[in-house]
Amino acid sequence: MKERVLIANRGEIALRVIEACKELGIDYVAVYTKEDEESLHVKLAEKKYRISDYKDMNDLLAVADEAKCTAIHPGYGFLSEDYRFARRVVKRERPLIFIGPSWEAIRDLGNKLFLKKLAKELNIPVIPGTTQPIFNEIEAELKAEELYETLNFQGNYNYSLMVKAAAGGGGMGIAEVRNLDELRPVFRKIRAYAKRFFGDEGVIIEAKIPYIQHVEVQILGSKHNEYVHFGTRNCTIQSLSKQKRIEIAPGFLYDRGEYGFDIKKIENEIINYSLKLAKYFKYDNVGTWEWLITPEGKYFLMEVNTRIQVENEVSAKISYVNNKQINLIKEQIRVAFGEKLTYSQQDIKFKGTSIELRLVAEDTKRGFIPLSGTITKFFWTPKPWLSVRTHVPQDKFYNIPTQFDPNLALAIIYGDSFESAKKRALEFLEDVKIEGTTSNGERLITNIEFLKEKINWLYKFIPA
Amino acid sequence: MEIEYPELNLLLQKFRANPYKIYPVFTPHTGYIKEFKVKEGDLVKGPTGKWLEKPGSPLFILEREKNTKIIRAQISGIVQNLKMEFLNKFVEAESCVLEIKHQLSQEEIISEILLSALYIIKAPETARYVLSPSLALKLEKEGIGKVKVKTGDELLIMTFMKRETPIYLSQEGDFVIYRLYFTPFQLIQKDQPLIGLCLEEKLPYLEKIVKKIKKEWPSS
Amino acid sequence: MKLDLHRKLKDLLDTATYIKDIKGEAFLNISLLIEKISEVYENFYQHDLNFIENFIIQVESEIKKIMDEAERTLTPYEIVKIVRHPQRFTLQDILENVYDSYMELGGEGEINIDPAIVCAKAIIIRKVRNDLYFHQVMVIGHEKGHGEEFRQGGSAKPWGNEKALRFMQMAETEGIPIHFYIFTPGAYPIEDYPGSAQQIARNLYYMTKLKVPTVALISEGGSGGAEAIGLTDMRLMFEKGYYSVISPEGAAAIEAKIRDGRPPRELVEKCAKALKLTAKDNLEFGLIDRIVPEPPLGARKRDYEFFKKLKLELIKATDEIVLQTRSLKFLRKYTLSKQSTEDFKFYINWDLDEDEIEILIENRWEKYKKMSQWAVCEPKNVIKSFFNFSRSWGLKFKNELKYRILKPSHKTFKKFLDELTTESSLLFKPVSDPVKTVYNLIVGKKIKSKIPTPILIEEETSPYRSPLALEDKTITCPQAEKYGCPDLWVPDLYGEYCGVCPNCGYHFLLEYKWYLNNIFDKNSIKPFNDYIASGNPLEFEGYAEKLKEARKKTNLRSALLTFEAKIGGISLVAVMLIGDFRQGTVGVAEGEKFIRAIEFAKITRRPFLALVHTTGGIRIHEGTLGLIQMPRCTIAVRDYVDAGGLYIVVYDNNSFAGPVASFLGCAPYQFALKSTRLGFAGPRVIRETIGQEIPPDYHSAENALKRGHIQGIWDRRELRKKLFTALLTMGGKNLYYR
Repeated sequence: MKERVLIANRGEIALRVIEACKELGIDYVAVYTKEDEESLHVKLAEKKYRISDYKDMNDLLAVADEAKCTAIHPGYGFLSEDYRFARRVVKRERPLIFIGPSWEAIRDLGNKLFLKKLAKELNIPVIPGTTQPIFNEIEAELKAEELYETLNFQGNYNYSLMVKAAAGGGGMGIAEVRNLDELRPVFRKIRAYAKRFFGDEGVIIEAKIPYIQHVEVQILGSKHNEYVHFGTRNCTIQSLSKQKRIEIAPGFLYDRGEYGFDIKKIENEIINYSLKLAKYFKYDNVGTWEWLITPEGKYFLMEVNTRIQVENEVSAKISYVNNKQINLIKEQIRVAFGEKLTYSQQDIKFKGTSIELRLVAEDTKRGFIPLSGTITKFFWTPKPWLSVRTHVPQDKFYNIPTQFDPNLALAIIYGDSFESAKKRALEFLEDVKIEGTTSNGERLITNIEFLKEKINWLYKFIPA
Repeated sequence: MEIEYPELNLLLQKFRANPYKIYPVFTPHTGYIKEFKVKEGDLVKGPTGKWLEKPGSPLFILEREKNTKIIRAQISGIVQNLKMEFLNKFVEAESCVLEIKHQLSQEEIISEILLSALYIIKAPETARYVLSPSLALKLEKEGIGKVKVKTGDELLIMTFMKRETPIYLSQEGDFVIYRLYFTPFQLIQKDQPLIGLCLEEKLPYLEKIVKKIKKEWPSS
Repeated sequence: MKLDLHRKLKDLLDTATYIKDIKGEAFLNISLLIEKISEVYENFYQHDLNFIENFIIQVESEIKKIMDEAERTLTPYEIVKIVRHPQRFTLQDILENVYDSYMELGGEGEINIDPAIVCAKAIIIRKVRNDLYFHQVMVIGHEKGHGEEFRQGGSAKPWGNEKALRFMQMAETEGIPIHFYIFTPGAYPIEDYPGSAQQIARNLYYMTKLKVPTVALISEGGSGGAEAIGLTDMRLMFEKGYYSVISPEGAAAIEAKIRDGRPPRELVEKCAKALKLTAKDNLEFGLIDRIVPEPPLGARKRDYEFFKKLKLELIKATDEIVLQTRSLKFLRKYTLSKQSTEDFKFYINWDLDEDEIEILIENRWEKYKKMSQWAVCEPKNVIKSFFNFSRSWGLKFKNELKYRILKPSHKTFKKFLDELTTESSLLFKPVSDPVKTVYNLIVGKKIKSKIPTPILIEEETSPYRSPLALEDKTITCPQAEKYGCPDLWVPDLYGEYCGVCPNCGYHFLLEYKWYLNNIFDKNSIKPFNDYIASGNPLEFEGYAEKLKEARKKTNLRSALLTFEAKIGGISLVAVMLIGDFRQGTVGVAEGEKFIRAIEFAKITRRPFLALVHTTGGIRIHEGTLGLIQMPRCTIAVRDYVDAGGLYIVVYDNNSFAGPVASFLGCAPYQFALKSTRLGFAGPRVIRETIGQEIPPDYHSAENALKRGHIQGIWDRRELRKKLFTALLTMGGKNLYYR
């Protein structure tokens, strides 16, 4: 039977999955909501269904059954990291292939506290802090004192602490504590916040690492116990609410001596630790292991993203197998259907530098407020070293839907070296034109200026 | 904002010629239409009871993932444009299955006519809206037509681009909240009316209009 | 003279009409007789005196015959009709005719906080030879009135019962006995503050330890409303009174599963019979102490002889209560001697001293403990019961020693030590340390400076999969329209979500086994008294089959599960009312099991948890034997709480009526899960009683919280954690007992 994939997503990733399916010779079915009727992925797909919401698993599965799909690709965002969805997809009476890791892996690796506990057991370094949610302030104070002692013992003085909602994420429900006297009121505040917004009173306390770089490892596993990595990426440049804006692969700048530690050694260590955890979980899909690196060369495992990442292509651009750039989405679909990798780590060669710029309609000067409106002009000069991924049509006006993030396009730039890639990125940013109006008739702003400015910060340590 | 009597008469005439409003009924989600509970021309009722605790008339049965759901009328009226061809077929979300031709009541006519007599706060974006909590509380306590607002008061909260944005009253003057035109948490299209406000000094004039409409359009 | 005859004729007419009302039009040509009398009555002045005199004599004898026959063939439903008849005597008549003087407290007719409840201070005079003795008593009772609308037929509103409670407390302060008169078809079923159920529970809870002699007289003993002022030392019942768990009409409606309208008359009569609600039945069951005789077809307003007898009975009953606290020998002599209203042989002072009060309360507890015990169905195994008996005595002895004798001294010593160490820890450390060591040597264990806090580990509960979660399908949340909840996949809903909609928090119904497996530590549940089974003490027709069905369906013998269990290592005694077994209704078996469980918790000094999966009230098929579980269990609760026990009640799903108005509702700490519906009477009963529609959220947990009935709303997903925290913070390892 021919495989047929339901693409349970929109925008750029839906287009990429369509492209990958076409290349692999697999059928696909797209879904869309009312707001997305004009989107490119709807136009390109032959078979498509209107659903109520991309997050409505009932609609997705009903469509999958109706269209006789055999697999579901969740993309990123929406239901991609919802282990309940992954579980339901494989456990229902008419099971489907979930193009992603096993639901157990999604659940356990997605649970930050569980991950931290497990990592500690496997001797993988994590940010010092509690591994159990705390519910009362006496306990919080004891744990905070303990944490200070450990930090001092490790020679880390003057660290402050972060009080976080255990169920939180995305920069919400976090507060900094500079000394123990502040702890109780802050703890109470965060606990109340956590209860209100996440329905769970649990709070954790962590050390705050003052200066960091954000480096991640791209892993791929198959159902045949094969595990490879596609090097590292550096995603230090982010918006206020910790959303990535510029990514670059590789994750370290090898030919410059700005680091106070042995780069190759550290990179190897975080790659090996990531692979260790992947093997422990029999991780059989694409995944990203996110690490924090300090200027002193310390590193901590932060979280694991059990899905394809937006920035997957920067790794793909610099990874060559048999002298061909790989496509991570194709690899992801292939392994999900149980195919073997057909290459090993030695066959993967890294060449050059790739930068991804995310073009977003947002006001970076006013707290990155997302904007909506109509795009009247979207233009750039095609270049051999440039690929632009976008669901925004270039031949007509496009209304930005108000219910989703206003991501407009991804620009992936390739260069032989960091310097050339950086130069080309700036060249692209000078060239690209996005014009439009907001709903009250004002000029639509994008984050292009912000990107231009931040390119100079690549590979630098920034305050957390 | 002003409405003259001839204009009012014109509006009334318009409604008299066509005292109906068409409410399309969409499928809330995908699924199979298993059964129609109504036929073309049937009279259906919206929710009734003092607390609207009695649900409206059943329209059709939609089944998805082994869950059969009765879709009910939200408003009273006559069924028209029933798409019989959907029977036992898979339908997409938000497909129009039938329409309900609703005869406007006196209250609704007043609301419609007042749209041209009141200062209307329109939806600035296609988004979801709720009344600001303090205002909602006041309205609950004092009732509509009594709560006063002035320039700079927070009226609504708009949920838009995954954020909550407050909407303030920008018009100069002291107003009274006279009509509400939206359902909280529902997606409201841009420029649809949300709140109807009336200048305090214009109140007696408005009452006069309402009286006239009531006279011209006795409640059935 | 002529006027007299006219009045006499009128009386006869009233009597005949009364007979007709009770026995029906077809009874012994009564309609004809009425016609005949009214003809003469209306044309009174056209007849001559002789004719009328003869006519009266003739009619009198006829009526007497009819009356005797009517009395002989009296059915239970006719008794109900007698009780409800506007001509029947009311509390007002008693106050005027039985007491020598009285003053009503808090109300004049309609101008009253609740005209259905009358409280009065009254004087009753006892004549012993030539001396007159004045007794002051508090009179509290329902006033049905002779048909006045505002009396609500004697249905007390919550504030009416609150008024009753206030004057009980006053009588206690003044040390005077209380005479309660029960003339109620049931409490007025409204949830306004504090709610009918809550107020009844509060009254019951208080009456358990009222420090004055109390007598109750039952004319119309309608369910929970009767119990609100019915927990007394002596319970008398009028011969033509009824005392029932539910009105015959209500029982018929339930039996016929009618939602609206009236049940058929035959069924109502059948139910009246089956409910065993007459004075004779209740005396046989041992639920009342004596019957106050009434004239044929019941006493009416002007039966002065009856009131005289009533006065005698009242004084006697009060005397006996008082004497029971004093000398048994004298009591025996007193009961054997013949007393009459005109001339008492003894004067008995109704004031009690401290010791007597203690005995009074003890007697009350003993009296109620024994009630309905004969109806408990348990296998009579001599060895087993002997073993149980000795086991409980052993436990009692051990725990008495541990907590009562050793603990206080241990506590005092520890306090002294703590003071010593904390106040001047630096200075005295060398001093206190040896003391500690010596103490440890003697007592044999280490004094810990910090009590180790028990911790809650998730994995400690047993892995359990609800049978509901096995189907691959989705369902719609009932609140979807309001909150836009997505359809829920059943395996997720009944698995991970604990039957709670993750969007709006609506709680779906879950089977009771879920609670047992998800709240308590793994393998910690030890059920006891499993063998006590629900029986059919009234031999209610068709009930035995229903019981059998319930037993087969649930594999349980009663609706109440009693067990020992642990939460996070904290040991407790728990009971659970199970909805699958006859809607979690309470009867003799459930009441007995509850009392035994709470006594067990008291003996072993453990916290006591009552989980309510669902309760539909008192089981109507067990009649007053079920109803009596309300005061019985409440006394047990009071006993446990006063001894220092921690009693927590958690409601889920639907909790209504009797149990909520007594042993559950009197708990100091009550919590409800989110979608619980909680209250006194269901919407149908309310609609029929007060004739109004109630809003859909009338019985919601939020409203119960708003009016202070419960102390918190919990989420089922956090139930284990919440209970654990509750046990820790409200009890504390050494605080379960004071």
